Amino acid sequence: MATQKVEKTKVDRIRSLAKAPMDDYYVSGHRTCAGCGPAINYRMVAKAAGKDTIFVGPTGCMYVANTSYLCVPWAVPWIHAQITNAGGIGSGISAAYEARIRKGKYKGKFPNVIVMAGDGGSSDIGLQALSGAMYRNHDLLFISYDNEAYANTGIQVSPTTPYGARTTFTPPGPVVPEGKKLWPKDLAKLIVGGHPSVAYVATASIGYPIDLMNKVRKALNVEGAAFMHIHAPCPKGWGFPADKAIEIARLAVQTGMWTMWEYENDEYKINIQPKKLKPVSQYLEAQDRFSHLTAEHKAKIQNFVNHKLAMLGIKVPVEAVTA
Amino acid sequence: MGTKKFLTGLGATATAVKMADVDVITSFPIRPYTGVMMILSQMVANGELDAEFIHADGEHAQLSISHGASAAGARTFTGSSGVGVTYAFETYSPISGGRCPVQMLIADRTLDPPGDFGSEHTDALGCRDQGWIMGWAETPQEVFDNTLIYYRVGEDPRVRLPQFNCHDGYFVSHIPGDVEIPEQSQVDEFLPPYRPVDPLDPQNPLGHGPQIFPDQGPALEAMRHNAMMAAMPVIEEAIDDFGRIFGRKYAPFVEEFMTDDAELVFFINGAHAHTARYAIKHLRERGIKVGLVKIRFIRPWPTDVLQESLSRFKAVGVVETNSSFGIARGGGILAPEVCGSLYDVPQRPLIASFMGGLGGEPITLKEFDFIAEKLKKIAESGKIEKPVYWLGFEE
Repeated sequence: MATQKVEKTKVDRIRSLAKAPMDDYYVSGHRTCAGCGPAINYRMVAKAAGKDTIFVGPTGCMYVANTSYLCVPWAVPWIHAQITNAGGIGSGISAAYEARIRKGKYKGKFPNVIVMAGDGGSSDIGLQALSGAMYRNHDLLFISYDNEAYANTGIQVSPTTPYGARTTFTPPGPVVPEGKKLWPKDLAKLIVGGHPSVAYVATASIGYPIDLMNKVRKALNVEGAAFMHIHAPCPKGWGFPADKAIEIARLAVQTGMWTMWEYENDEYKINIQPKKLKPVSQYLEAQDRFSHLTAEHKAKIQNFVNHKLAMLGIKVPVEAVTA
Repeated sequence: MGTKKFLTGLGATATAVKMADVDVITSFPIRPYTGVMMILSQMVANGELDAEFIHADGEHAQLSISHGASAAGARTFTGSSGVGVTYAFETYSPISGGRCPVQMLIADRTLDPPGDFGSEHTDALGCRDQGWIMGWAETPQEVFDNTLIYYRVGEDPRVRLPQFNCHDGYFVSHIPGDVEIPEQSQVDEFLPPYRPVDPLDPQNPLGHGPQIFPDQGPALEAMRHNAMMAAMPVIEEAIDDFGRIFGRKYAPFVEEFMTDDAELVFFINGAHAHTARYAIKHLRERGIKVGLVKIRFIRPWPTDVLQESLSRFKAVGVVETNSSFGIARGGGILAPEVCGSLYDVPQRPLIASFMGGLGGEPITLKEFDFIAEKLKKIAESGKIEKPVYWLGFEE
């Protein structure tokens, strides 16, 4: 009885921006900052997913800035989750549709269930709920939109904040010259490494919208749990002009600070791999949050990035640092 | 007609959950409630119950998954005990505020420290202000019946609130008693399928739980308050219907035993009412005019019913199987609510608290004798010497 399968619908690839769906399900009327990376990400994800979607939104920027005065900017159902429990709420929605469709209590299609959690609500206080949802393999897509800080509370450090970044909890000073002293958690690798049921894990970036939207569609086509980690620069938190969010996102990939890959069928596949990497100093120097760093700190970050790329099997020369 | 079975409180709960055709069940092990999930998982494995049985990653997750499932239109069941109940505390207000009629069994257990399996009501009572319907059952039969009654009340479109379906760990959860199991057709007549009012559904897109600004807060809080107050007549209706369909008649809120000529009463929730009935019979043989007032619902708190009931007596002994360190009058959680209920009544009884059954100790017949003696003295002297007695520590 409980093993009877519920039918799931599939969606096609998007071939170019011109051929992306015109319809939006994350619409205007929200109050995010100008140039907000997570808002740009939300629009692309909702566009790719389409109308048969339910979003779960734990507390974070995409809750606080999107849902003011009892209004919401989604044209699809959305539910607030606590910052702790988005994975649990998503699991419950998915389980409810499994049971209700199987038992004949609901006549429509099985919806796309998408959890849209910030880096804190996924890699930190929400990690247990995320891991539980992945382990139990509920049919849902969990997205961590990563702006590398607890931004809506005023830019506090999170586990994915890069080494050396200034946040309001990691201010640099004579005793702690680098600001943040720890190396960031690699959330996508954490999901791959310990959740054998998960059939699809991918990283993406708002700088590469076609890649991002197709990964969302691929993740939704997978039976069971899927995970995406999406880089979403934050002009206010990182200290760059509001019209530079896409440029910063692309620079992160071009310097190796962010890597673009998919994991399926027990293999990593690198999606976007520049022929030559730019030095990380170019990325660091474009943002105020790194403005206090010395050459020594920047060299440490370059070493960290080189090592991270080698672990992924990326062997691309880095352009000479001109400092 | 139905059959009679010899079931524990947990067995009775599981049987009622199955007959309620629950869709999503979320489990996590902690004694003493765990057994209900062992039984339900076997029912699902056997194909007797078609439900998603989910191994949650802790109690916080149990409630979170139940919240999502209920918001998406499923009838849900979960449960816990002791520190498991408090671990999930964050989730209770969002669930009641989201008007999701999740049902949670609480088989009471003392809170840590130290580790202790015994029944104490502080785990559940600590959550009494979170907008959940809450009450206690005394026997496995009452557990079975409450499980169905709570779903019906909580899912009623006039109410739409979650429910803490409580009973004492071990005394009720693990000690079997006769339970009349009705026909499925009777259950179906009493409890219609859950019809969610505004579920998460792409066919009818709605936002659940957006942020507000402070000036929008009072209206939302008033709505939740009104829902809880609206549960009062709905409970009365449900109890009426229950009696008609199943042939068992309950007093909706307050059950009295041997109170017709009583001057003194024990005021109790839960399993210790069972011992109190025996104690009362013995005490009456000795000419002490004592009775029992058992409260079936703590939320909503039946103020009017209690005013009418308790104002007839000279002295009320509130038996407190809970702690609230530093509360008004310095005893348990129930006495201040009882006193508050009677403040507006011109003819008030004298009220004292008796802290008993803490750590899961039984309250013995001897201790009920002690309570009756103190109440008698209070009634005769017309004054309270001490508002609180700790059973076992008093002269």
